[in-house]
Parts: sequence; C-alpha cells; structure tokens
Amino acid sequence: MKTLADFKEFCRTDLSADLHALEARRRAVAQKLVYVGAGVAGLGAIALFFIMQSGAPFFPGIMFPVIIGGALFTFIAHLGSKGYVREFKDTIIRKIVKFLDENLDYFPHRCIGRSTFMASQIFKTKPNRYKGDDYVCGRAGETQIEFSELNAEYESGSGKNRSRRTVFKGLFFIGEFNKHFTCQTIVLPDTAENLFGGFGKLFQSWNVLRGQLIKLEDPEFERYFVVYGDDQIQARYILSTSLMERIVDFKKKTGRRIYLSFVGSKVFVAISFTKNLFEPKLFRTLLDFGLIEEYFEDLQLAVGIVEDLNLNTRIWSKQ
Amino acid sequence: MVYIIIVLIVFLAIPAFIYNSLVGKKNQVLNVFGTIDAMLKKRYDLVPNLVATVKGYMQHERSLLSEVTEMRAKALSEGISDDQKVDFDNAMTKALGRIMVAVENYPDLKASENFMHLQRTLTELEEQISAARRAYNAAVTDYNNAVEMFPTNIVASMMNYRRRRFFEISEKERESIDAGEHLRR
Repeated sequence: MKTLADFKEFCRTDLSADLHALEARRRAVAQKLVYVGAGVAGLGAIALFFIMQSGAPFFPGIMFPVIIGGALFTFIAHLGSKGYVREFKDTIIRKIVKFLDENLDYFPHRCIGRSTFMASQIFKTKPNRYKGDDYVCGRAGETQIEFSELNAEYESGSGKNRSRRTVFKGLFFIGEFNKHFTCQTIVLPDTAENLFGGFGKLFQSWNVLRGQLIKLEDPEFERYFVVYGDDQIQARYILSTSLMERIVDFKKKTGRRIYLSFVGSKVFVAISFTKNLFEPKLFRTLLDFGLIEEYFEDLQLAVGIVEDLNLNTRIWSKQ
Repeated sequence: MVYIIIVLIVFLAIPAFIYNSLVGKKNQVLNVFGTIDAMLKKRYDLVPNLVATVKGYMQHERSLLSEVTEMRAKALSEGISDDQKVDFDNAMTKALGRIMVAVENYPDLKASENFMHLQRTLTELEEQISAARRAYNAAVTDYNNAVEMFPTNIVASMMNYRRRRFFEISEKERESIDAGEHLRR
C-alpha cells in the first residue's frame, strides 16, 4: 500500500506542475465569482431598496432578493466553475488514482448503477433520487474492484408533505471475494444492541426482512455490527475469525458507519460520508498539501479495502 | 368465564411455546452437526487422492500415510458414535497437518500442479469445517442457555434435555490464517 511519504514524493515530482497550472486557473475562476457575487449583491440591494420604498414589510421583502440572488449566484458559480472542476478531476484525481494503482481507471462522470446498489442487499429502501460520480474500476492485484461516490435518497409525499431522507451517501465499493459461496450475508452497524443491550439482540432476531440473525463469537465485532444471512455455516465460512478482526480494524481506522454484504461472490462495502468526495474547493488554495492529502486519503481508503480485507489472498480453490 | 378461558389459553400457550422453541433449538444443533458430518466425509473422500499424489515422493513417511488411510476406513465405517466421529476428526486434522509439514522436504511435490490443487481444496474444506464447528457451538450455546435458564429449564428437564458438549476449537483455528505461510508451503 502506498504511504503518505510516497504520496508526498509523488506530489513533489509528478503533481507539482499540474497543481501550479490549476492553481492559476482556480484563482481566475474564484476572482470572477467574487465579482459576480458583488454584482448580484449590488443588484439585490437595489431591488431591496425599491421593495422597501413600495412599503412592503421588511421580513418578506428581504427574503425575495436574497432567494433570487442566492439562486442566481449558485447557477452562475456552477456554470463558471464547470470547466475547472472537469479539468481538476481529469488531471489531479486521475493521477492520484493511477498513483495508487496503475491498473485502475477513473471516470469522473460515471457511478455504480442503482440495480447494483440494490443487488448488494445492504439497503432495503429503493431510492427514487439517485446520483453519483467519480467511478474507479480495474484490478488491484488479483482482485477486480470498482467504487464510486453515491448519493441515494428516497422522496415521498408531494407539495407541503414532501419529505426526503438519505438512504445512503458516501463511498460504495465492490470487490471480487476470494472464496466461493452461494449464500447472502449482510453486515450492518449494530444500533439496536448498542441502544437496548440484550433486548436489542432479541429485536434483531425478529427482523423478518433480513433473514436469520447470525450470532458470532467475536465480542468486539458483535459490539460494532449485526449480521444477517440465509446460511449459518456459510456466513461463518465468509466471516472467518481473521476477517472479523480485519473488519473491526477497518471500522476503527475509518471511524465511520460501515455496511458490508457478501452476495453473488462479491463483497460490497458502503462507507458513509457527509461531505462531497473528490470535489475541488474553489476558495481554498490547491498548493496546501492538507487538501491534496485529503483526496489521497479518501481514494486510498477505497483502494486499500483490498488489503484491509485481505482480498488478494488466494489460498482457496477460487483463483 | 372469558377470564378463565384467557388464563387457560395463556397457561397452555406458554408451555407450548417453550416446548416448540426447545425442539427447534435441539434440531438446529442436530442439523449443524449433520452438516459437519457431511463436510468431514468430503474431506475423507480427498484422502485417497492425497495419499496417491504424495506417496510417490514421500519415502520416509510411509507409516504416516498408512495411518491416515486406516483412520479414514475406520471413520467411514458404520455404527460409530458422534463422540468417535469427533475424535477421528481431531486425529485426522493432526495427521493431515503432519503431512503438510512433511511436504516441505519435497520441493518437487510442493510444486506439482496436482498437489497444489489438492492443497487448496483441503484448505477450503478445513475452513468450511471450522465455520461449521463455530456454527455448531453457536447453536449449542442457544440450546444450553434454554436448558439452563428459567423458565425454559423446567420444561427442558421434563423433556429430559441435557446440556450438550461444545466442539473444541483448536488454537490453530483461532489464529488468523497466515496466507504467506500457506503459499510458501
């Protein structure tokens, strides 16, 4: 696995020229946006003045230019920065992906499909608002992998009753698993047992949507996760004692909500994030290593799953 | 009258529920033991193949190979008890481990395609057996808890259900699998 020191060296030798060229571009775009922002704010102030003159009450009166101005600025900012975002992803993110593994390819506008997302069986709610980007695929050692950023939401109701909830937002990883199996095993964050203790386990065993509850021996693993499956033995064959340890270590390393499933000879890993991943920040300099390091760490988190879960080990009959 | 009927239903339903759950837990234990048995048979089926592959190379381990063959014949014979099956399984695991260690002295054998395939299949089977033992122990824990805890223990003693023994998981199985070690062999 590539270390931070390797990445620093890579930045110095390979990425530096691109970063400087893009930094000049970023400054120009950011400057334009400041001017546009000032212009929109000025127009808003004039509009507000006339609204006040017409005798409209202050609170609804101020809302009108703020909302229109905000929407106008967001639209112009999106259009103005589109080219920069594309260039940033095509050069910087692509190069970091290639640095992590030469055999991986990067497609900024693609994502893992909704049917694949649902096939993982991790999430039971089918999202009706689904988008994603930053798709990476290829072979990491012996293992075929793919991952992308996803934002899956479910919207219900209409008009004033419309509500939206997040099904999943974060990084979604798929890898070829190194053992043969025919069952389905789902590993979810353990919320019920953490909240209700022993009763939580009882509630979990009644979860008819998920199949059989698989009670595993590793107490630390059980503290973090709850496992459902349709075969008690195959679930344990997949979740060997060493893999359970590795999953716990991975959970601790990321410090995030982790979901896993083992379905159709693949392992699916969903890692929750609240931030938008791999997006450039217009008002922060690209020459700050802390920012570039963040992109590297997020990408390495996904690529590193192969090593973290030991997927390249092929001591079983599956080659 | 209605209250009496409700009380009667409750008094009949609770023992029936406990009875059914105890039978379910016992059957789960038997079911997993059946799976272990099937996997052990699968492993025993590999033994003649393994012996045939290694005996051409292993000149100094003849007695070990014949010991393994005899053990297989005994383990597959009719009418052996569950405890004996467990004992044969433990002995076979040890004997196969000794063969794998001895293979270290025969580089040609180690590199042979046939042996490598057998080794992978055996590793896979060993892991499946280990998973089945763990599943068995989980089923036994559930069953033993029901046999010992109140109020299920009252019904269990009436049904003459007794605590069951766990499968012993060896230290080797508890350890994480060292892939490098397997591949170097």
